[in-house]
Amino acid sequence: MSAELPPELANMQQDEEGDIIMNPIRERNPLVTAAMGIVPGLGHFYIGRPVAGILYLISGIFMVLLILWVGAQAEFDPFGQMFARDVERYLGIALLQYLLIAFAVLFWVWQAAAAALKTAGRRRAAPVVGAVALIGFTYLLGFQATEVDLEKFITEFPDTFRIFTLIIWPWEQAVQRDEILLTAQTNWLTPCAGDPPEQTREGDTWITLDPACGEIAAFSLEEARVVPGTQLTATGSGFDPGVPVELWWILQSTDPDVPEEEVEDPETPEGAPEVEGFIPNLLVNIVPPPPEEEEEIIDVDAVAGFASHPPVYNADPRIGTLANPEDFEDGQTGSIEIIPNEEGMFEVTFGAPQSLPTPDEGPYTYVWQARQTEALSAPRISDDFRLAVDRMVVTIFQALMATSLGIIFAVPVSFLAARNLMFDNPITRIIYYVVRFLLNVVRSIEPIIWGVIAIAWVGLGPFAGVMALMIHTIAALGKLYSESIESIDAGPIEAITATGATRLQTILFAIVPQIVPPYISFTLYRWDINVRMSTIIGFVGGGGIGQILFQWINQSRWGSAGMAVWLIAITVSVLDYASSELRKRFV
Amino acid sequence: MLEIKNLTKVYDTGTVALKDVTCTIPDGSFTVVIGLSGSGKSTMLRCINRLIDPTDGQIIFDGQDITAARGEELRKIRREIGMIFQHFNLVRRSTVLTNVLSGRLGYVNPAMSLFNRFPQEDRDRALEALEQVGLDDKAYNRADALSGGQQQRVGIARALMQRPKMILADEPVASLDPVLAHSIMEYLEKLNQEQGITILCSLHYLDLVQRYSTNVIGLRRGRLVYQGTNEDIRNLTDADFKDIYGEQAVRIGTGSITG
Repeated sequence: MSAELPPELANMQQDEEGDIIMNPIRERNPLVTAAMGIVPGLGHFYIGRPVAGILYLISGIFMVLLILWVGAQAEFDPFGQMFARDVERYLGIALLQYLLIAFAVLFWVWQAAAAALKTAGRRRAAPVVGAVALIGFTYLLGFQATEVDLEKFITEFPDTFRIFTLIIWPWEQAVQRDEILLTAQTNWLTPCAGDPPEQTREGDTWITLDPACGEIAAFSLEEARVVPGTQLTATGSGFDPGVPVELWWILQSTDPDVPEEEVEDPETPEGAPEVEGFIPNLLVNIVPPPPEEEEEIIDVDAVAGFASHPPVYNADPRIGTLANPEDFEDGQTGSIEIIPNEEGMFEVTFGAPQSLPTPDEGPYTYVWQARQTEALSAPRISDDFRLAVDRMVVTIFQALMATSLGIIFAVPVSFLAARNLMFDNPITRIIYYVVRFLLNVVRSIEPIIWGVIAIAWVGLGPFAGVMALMIHTIAALGKLYSESIESIDAGPIEAITATGATRLQTILFAIVPQIVPPYISFTLYRWDINVRMSTIIGFVGGGGIGQILFQWINQSRWGSAGMAVWLIAITVSVLDYASSELRKRFV
Repeated sequence: MLEIKNLTKVYDTGTVALKDVTCTIPDGSFTVVIGLSGSGKSTMLRCINRLIDPTDGQIIFDGQDITAARGEELRKIRREIGMIFQHFNLVRRSTVLTNVLSGRLGYVNPAMSLFNRFPQEDRDRALEALEQVGLDDKAYNRADALSGGQQQRVGIARALMQRPKMILADEPVASLDPVLAHSIMEYLEKLNQEQGITILCSLHYLDLVQRYSTNVIGLRRGRLVYQGTNEDIRNLTDADFKDIYGEQAVRIGTGSITG
């Protein structure tokens, strides 16, 4: 090989790979080379391979920096956290850290050895070692940087599986049966001032409270605890035996001077009457215990209430049974459900609950309501399913509008971005470059980012989604369209121009017939993309099914979320198939 | 009459395609331009209807200066000069009839043509033109469904729709087999003889040149190197041949054709 060297390079050598090296290596001492390898790459400088030396040096610096970075990320402290609570987790991080350092050291030793071996003779350091060191370092770093947690991957699966099954088969959620309620209500005053409301026992179903006025539970700053409210005895009659009755209460009027208004029965358990001035409060559910424990009296100790729940310091059924006595045993507050006896009667004693937010000085009238689910209505399509279908339709229209509006702008833009039409003179050439640049910029910004911008522009809702998709569609189609113009056969343009046609006629007769098929094809493709994208745009507030899906996921309503996912999957696959079938006819 | 005076074309790339070409194409002649590929034949033809803007020189057509024409004036000149192409240059996805009708674009109301509307008169004329080239039964076929020879005949019909005084034919038979080549040349000859349309045609095959031309122009590297009549080309000397095709060109067959 050296025989082929030109005369001016005769004093240089080539190694076995044929690289020209600056100095004859055999004059160098291998031990010196190895010693210099303490600084990564220095050994290679010494033997006259500066490029390799610089690469090793840079690699070395990067490795040190990356180890420091990962250390900072994991708050790695070899001594301080040894006795931290989360020892297992800590040991995991420490192990990865030490392995990372080990690979870096291996790489460092290897590069020194490589330089030294080069000096000593013609042997090469095993490249496998260097490769293992580098690959090991890289993947270990990736493992840590992305916080891969294989343990969670396995252990958390059973919890996820429940959600997973709901999403895979959510159709139970598509049907709902409404509760038909049997209710009775009475008024109650707090504090006692003037005439307490009359407690009547009229009609088939009734409820009374004794006493008819009293104090509600309230948090006392002086005593630093919740002071229980007046002991109330609720008596009800005319309910279905054995079916739980829930007790609810609602502040009827915040203004004591305003005469009482008639309270409408809430139509659903969650829905308080939507009358201004009413603060719906969680009620006490009273549930009967199993029949054999009917006579058992459950003592419930006074409960220091959780601030967010109205405290009920006991619930003591004289007639009927508590449905969930354990709620009280655990010192919990909140729902009391009672099961009426065979005559359909119940009587329960409990502490008046706390009202949140705490009303100003009273007196106030509360409406107490006893509710019993009498029956379930016939199954019907659920509200969530209707909503999902409704939003799916909105989403399809979003895609339609975004694609259509996008076409309107993209077609003229595509002519401005077609090189073969715009290179005739300098002005159009500048327009071409400007348009091309803008298209590339707009296209490189993801539709979801455009969604955020559009929401700031036109507010939340489907139109923001349409705008986001439209902007991206203009850029994407503009480019695809202009490329199809660029790839047309120039012959017809020449021929039509030669007939004395105007520029516009030339475009219509020579260019348009050639670009219509690819335009249709690209448009269908884009519409397909837009349907898919519009489901995602909703996640940032762009309306459509994505928005409702995002909401359901946040509320952990997996069944409803599953229906939305199914609808998206079905719609997208149907449209995908349809558009590809249609496209086949135009290409 | 078409006069070409000192025509020069230098492309942006610096290629000199035509250099100081001066010649005259008499009315009613069947003039053939010969020369090697790259000798400037196509450039010369395209300068005549200004598909290419000449760098220098003048082209006078019936007293009008084509090189100075702009806009409307240029379009009016263009519509009097039909053109047919080696690769036919039909709009492949359009129907044959639409392709032929597009020959009228220089005449019709631009607004109407935007909606692909042509006067009934033009449509009749288009069918007539198709009949002349024997394709009246193909009017509603897509252009790309036709064979090469048929497509070139559509190209001729399109040129005829312009009612041209002159037809430029840029290697009209180079993509066709010899039998079709003759048939296309016969169509052109018929137009030349029966309707008095001046034909300016570039050709590669000397036998076609000798058979159809009335006048011959030879170009070599953008310069005019030969001018003669049909008589002259039938008796082309070896010296002239080498002038046109270069010193290394080998002539096959005899120089003259009889009969």
